[in-house]
Order: sequence, then structure tokens, then C-alpha cells
Amino acid sequence: MKKLLKPVEPVLEKGLDTVGSFIHTHPKINFLFGALFGAFDGLLRSARETTHTQPFIRNNYDVKRFMGAVLVALVAGWVLPAMYFYGWQGVVSKLLVSFIIGIFVVDVIWAIIAREEHISEGGFVSCLFIPAILPPQAPLWLVGLGAALAIIFRNILGGVGNNLVNPALFSRLFLTICFPALLVTGYQTPFVGIPDLHTFRYGLDAVTHATPFTAFKTGGETTSYLSLLLGTANGSMGETCRLALILSGLWLIKMRVANWRIPASYLGSVLILSVFFSLILGRTVAPPLFQLLSGGLILGAFFMATDPITATYNQTAKWIFGAGCGLITVLIRNFTTLPEGVMYSILLMNLLAIPIQSLMVKIRYRV
Amino acid sequence: MSVKRCMRSYLSQPSFPRQKNVFVKKENTRFQGGFYLPDAYPLQFCSIIEDISSDGTPEMFQFKVPDQKVAHIIVNLCPTEPWALPNWVILKHKTPSFLNMLKEIKTNYFPGAVLSLAINEGECRTVEDAKKFASNEDWMRVFPLYAKYPQDDPVLLLKVILGIEVSFGQDTKSLGVLILDAQTVSAIYESCILRNKVDSRLIVLSGTGLKENEIVNVQLGTSIEKILKNKVKETGKYRVFINGPLRGNEITDLSQKINWSVNNIVVLEEKNRKVMFPMIKSDELILTTNLLGELRRCVYCNYCDNICPVDLEPALYYHSYTRGEKHKARLYNLEKCIECGLCSFICPSKLELLHIIKECKALDKQHEKIT
Ligand code: SF4
Ligand code: SF4
Repeated sequence: MKKLLKPVEPVLEKGLDTVGSFIHTHPKINFLFGALFGAFDGLLRSARETTHTQPFIRNNYDVKRFMGAVLVALVAGWVLPAMYFYGWQGVVSKLLVSFIIGIFVVDVIWAIIAREEHISEGGFVSCLFIPAILPPQAPLWLVGLGAALAIIFRNILGGVGNNLVNPALFSRLFLTICFPALLVTGYQTPFVGIPDLHTFRYGLDAVTHATPFTAFKTGGETTSYLSLLLGTANGSMGETCRLALILSGLWLIKMRVANWRIPASYLGSVLILSVFFSLILGRTVAPPLFQLLSGGLILGAFFMATDPITATYNQTAKWIFGAGCGLITVLIRNFTTLPEGVMYSILLMNLLAIPIQSLMVKIRYRV
Repeated sequence: MSVKRCMRSYLSQPSFPRQKNVFVKKENTRFQGGFYLPDAYPLQFCSIIEDISSDGTPEMFQFKVPDQKVAHIIVNLCPTEPWALPNWVILKHKTPSFLNMLKEIKTNYFPGAVLSLAINEGECRTVEDAKKFASNEDWMRVFPLYAKYPQDDPVLLLKVILGIEVSFGQDTKSLGVLILDAQTVSAIYESCILRNKVDSRLIVLSGTGLKENEIVNVQLGTSIEKILKNKVKETGKYRVFINGPLRGNEITDLSQKINWSVNNIVVLEEKNRKVMFPMIKSDELILTTNLLGELRRCVYCNYCDNICPVDLEPALYYHSYTRGEKHKARLYNLEKCIECGLCSFICPSKLELLHIIKECKALDKQHEKIT
């Protein structure tokens, strides 16, 4: 590998240097493409900075790998399965709309208004979430609006490293309030089998309006656990193939990008509470395993609640954070008319993370 | 329990109750966090030891018996940094003769003291030999330790071996504890028992800036410049650190002379240019001064508190600092920090956490002076 790359190295190095110096001498171009170039350059080359204070050597692990790992896990966890179940064309077009509107339109306008030096690359992850949490048949403009809102919220709330709540979920909350009808319809039936040309592009034409959870609420019927796990039951575009989500979530935990305490406490508390309520209230409450596998719980627990910036820093507080998410999810799902509680629970706990964190610090250090 | 009370109750015992099997409970020898450095930086040394003599008259090694009563001696045979002097250089694979040296030092100078050997548990032969030896001597205890950095820090050694908490920078002699490394033990033996003159010490030279990692025997008072002559790679810039790049200091004045406190010299390549394809060529970047990433805001990843050996949350100091509330850092057990530098080492946002900690500590000291 090294030998193969050896001849291209000088050419590439020179090219990158020229492009880099060109970008940095033209403020306008730097403004638009500086971050993009920086990200690309950072992928191909190491940093130039050296250490000046103790310790003089540093570990080979940086935030870029962090983000890269999240992107890889999301692609493996929902993009690829969704392409199979719903046809690649819908998925790709939605992703493109989300990225273009979110990053290249809204973020750029924001950067102009806020007079920032250049747009940051942190919006990629948020924009990758947007199509995942909308129904598969959601119109493209809805996806674009969602991405725009997510980026606006992210910037208003302080930008990368300073988010109060998960911007993607916040934008979905906004869409739920503004367009309630669009978010409970358009649940395309996932395709199963060997695809022909048509289904490969578009998926199946069948559309239902009921997710497994609404079906349970109205008729009391539960979907088979296997179909929930494999993704052949309908739901939002990115939440159906739970097996892939669990595997890539575990990979993230192994890479130490996601903190295991949050999924453990979130899923654990959902399980315990649903067992508890089932024992007391019987069949009016959804069965525990069905609760674990339905809706956006797996996606939320592994990918959204674990976003370190919106969770608490203290590790003990992470247990409380996860358990709180679980409690709210179970309560909303079973005792309100709302079809799904994951989004609300994570958003609410994001807000509560700050008091929980300061409370835990107070308890721990007695200040 | 306060340190003093602890210590007094401990000192009142004449010696430790004899135990057949001198095993310490597993969790005693471990601490949360830390980092096993040899995995990341496997250093190999040339087995030939070169002598380097000084130009002037060399200084002599002198051992001063502490004024306080020494109740406990800890011999550290568990170097955790790969650039520290390996045990085999002093022990020469003959552990019993080293232990006999220790015995003579003890009987002559510290007759009432208890001696604990902290040995790298990976060196099974040494551990076994020491255990065999200790089973006949009731004043000696053996502690096989996992050589995870910074296990050999005095604070952690005292905690594991004596179960007492001391604060960072505290003089252990005032507690009646003497901590020695292998090289000092052999120097004490040479100078005080055999009455030979000791005017040189072994110094480990390593790092990416050198042609070869090696161990040299240097007369005290030799300048660093002379030691490094002909040993540094001609290509590119380099920087010199004594006592390791993690806790040691950078040396800009190479005419500085070697004294007994210098254990090793690490010469690192100054990689202040971009390297193509860092993913597959990490060997070119590892153990250089490159930051290996760019400075960003804290992402609350918990790496720093996972790795901290004394269970602190360094990000809290960073946040107090950036909010302009340096004085608040002290509320979060700042004084417990042993300045091992692992938090800065691991931080993916490349924040200068140790620097911030030191600044906050300095502020604290000023504060104490005023009040
Ligand atoms: S390691 Fe660095 S980025 Fe991570 S929580 Fe600590 S200070 Fe923040
Ligand atoms: S330098 Fe201090 S705070 Fe940082 S890891 Fe070491 S002991 Fe913990």
C-alpha cells in the first residue's frame, strides 16, 4: 500500500499545497470552501502544529476520526439498509437535498450573516440524520426544510461543541408541530426479496399510514419481532433495520466514540419499566420486547442520546440521563395519545442534562 | 483518615505480620485509568553500553541518610515509561545478588525499616526470584505491579503499597518513606558499602531523533551536547527532553550538565510539516512532537476522565478556565492531580489540559499566600 502510494505523493502534496495557498489568499473562496478543503486536507494529511507544553507527545486520536466513525456507522446502520428496503433513488435524493440545503445554502447564509470566517464541517452528521427520522415517502421539500431548520437551530444554539439539544431532533419536533399530517403518513412498505430494476430504484409502491406502534395502539396487534429486527416492518426511513443499527452502534461503543452507559441505561430502563407496567396493567401496555424493538428507540439510544455534547459530561450522570430518557419514552408511548416518545424524551433530557450535570458535580465535590 | 493518623498507626507496628504468600489483592495493585505506554511506543535498546567521560572533573555520587527515621523503603523496579532505564541493565538477570545488596544496605543503614519491592509483573523471573528471597526475610515484601503509566509515581506507589494517601509533591521522607530506584540502590551499595567512588550513571537515550536507541554510562557533569554528539539523525530538526516527553522538561540549552536526577534523554523529531496519508504512515508521526490533530473545542468525550489515574474530571478545569473562572477549578479536587499529563496526551481536541491545571494550581498557591 505504502509503495503504491509513493509515486502519487509528491504530485498530490504539491497540488494540495497550491490549492491550499490559493484558498487562503482569496477570502471569498476560503469562506465557501475553506472548511471543505480543510476537511479533505485533514483526511489526507496530518496536522502541522507541534506541541509546546507538557506533555510533548500526544495520542494519535483526534476529533476528525470521531466524526468519521459516526458517519461510517450511520451509513452502515441506516443508509445502506434503507437503500435496499426503499430503493436507492429515494435515499440518495433525500441525502443530497439534505446536504445541499443544510450545508451549502443555510450554513453559508448563516456564516455570511454572522460574519464567520468559514462554514464548519460539523453539520454533516445533523444532515445525515434528517432523512433517517422522516417517513420514507416524505416529500423532498420536507427533507430540505428539516435540514435547514436543523442547521439554523444548531447555529442559534451555539454551533459545534455547544449544542443545547440535538438539532436534528429539534427540527423534527418543529416539523411535527407544523405538518402533523405529513409525518404520520407516507410509511412505505419495505421491500423484501431479490430486487428487480424497478424496486432497486424505487422500492415498493405500497404505502401504509400505520407504523407498528400506531397499529398496536389502535388495534392492539404486535408485529413479529423478527421483522422488526430485520427491518421489514415499516417505520421512519432510518429506524427500521434495527439489526444493522445495533451492530454499528456496538461498533461505535467499541471504538469508544459512543459511551456505553447511555444505551445501556436507556434500553435497560425501557425494558425494566415496560416489564413493570405490563405486570401491573397487563395487555393495555405494549409488551417489553416489542417496546424495545419498535419505533426509533434503537436509533435514538445508540446514535442520538449518545451525542456527547448534548448529554452530560459526568459519567454517573449519564446513567441518570439514560434512565430519564427511558422513563419518558415509556410514559409517552403508553399513557398518551402520541404515537412515539423517543424524540420527546431525548429532547427533554437534553435540556435536563445541564441541571443533572451541575447537580452531580455538586454532589461529587460537595461545592 | 488523615495522612498523619494513618501513618502513625502504621509506624507503630514493628514489622509486617509474616505472610506465606505475599500476594496483594488484585484491585490494590490496580488503579482506574492510566495508559500502558510500551504498547504505543515499543522501544528496543542496543545491549552494548558505551562509556562517555566528562571533560572536567566529574562530580561524585553522594548518599545522604535522611534525618528523619526511615520506617519504610520502597524500591521501584517497575518503570512504566518505555524510555526509562529497563530493569535488566541493573539486575543483569541476577536478581538474588541485587537483593543481597539491598539486604546489606538495609542492615547497615536502616535496620528497623520494612522494604517493599515494586516489580513489573511482566518480568516473571524477577518476581519469582524476589518472592523466593522474601520468603526467608520477614522485612521484605514483594508487590508485582502492572506497569501501566503512571503506576511508579510516588503518590500511586504509596497508595498501592502502604495504603496511604499523600498529596502530589509532598516530601515522602517526612512520612518516613524512602523511595529508591534500581540504579540508586546499586550506587548506594557501591559508594557506601564497598566504598568505591561512583561518578557516573546510566542514561537511556531514545527517540525518533536518534539514529539508534541506546544506553550510555555517563560521568556526572558531562554536557548533553557531548552525549548526543554523532548520535542524532542529521536530517531535520529535533528537540531534546530530559526525563521523558510526558513529565520531563524540554532542554534548549544543550550545554547543560548531567546530574544524578537525569534518568533519560529523549530526542524527538520536530514534525512541523504535513505528512501525507497519516492513517497508513502513523509510524512516521508517532513519538514526534506533532500534535496529531488540530485544536478544537471540548467535545465532552470523557477520554480525559477515563484515563486519569486519580479519578479527576479534567474537562471541568478546562471549562472553568475558558469561562474565565480559574479560581473555580480548585473546587474540583484540583490538588489531587499528580500532573501525569495523560489527559492532555489523550484529548482528541488537543486541549492543553495539563497547562491549564498548572496555571490554576499556581493561582491557588498565590491565593493561599494572600489569605
Ligand atoms: S478529552 Fe478533551 S475533548 Fe474530551 S472531554 Fe476531555 S477535555 Fe473535552
Ligand atoms: S494530569 Fe492530572 S488531571 Fe490530568 S490525567 Fe494526570 S492526574 Fe489526571
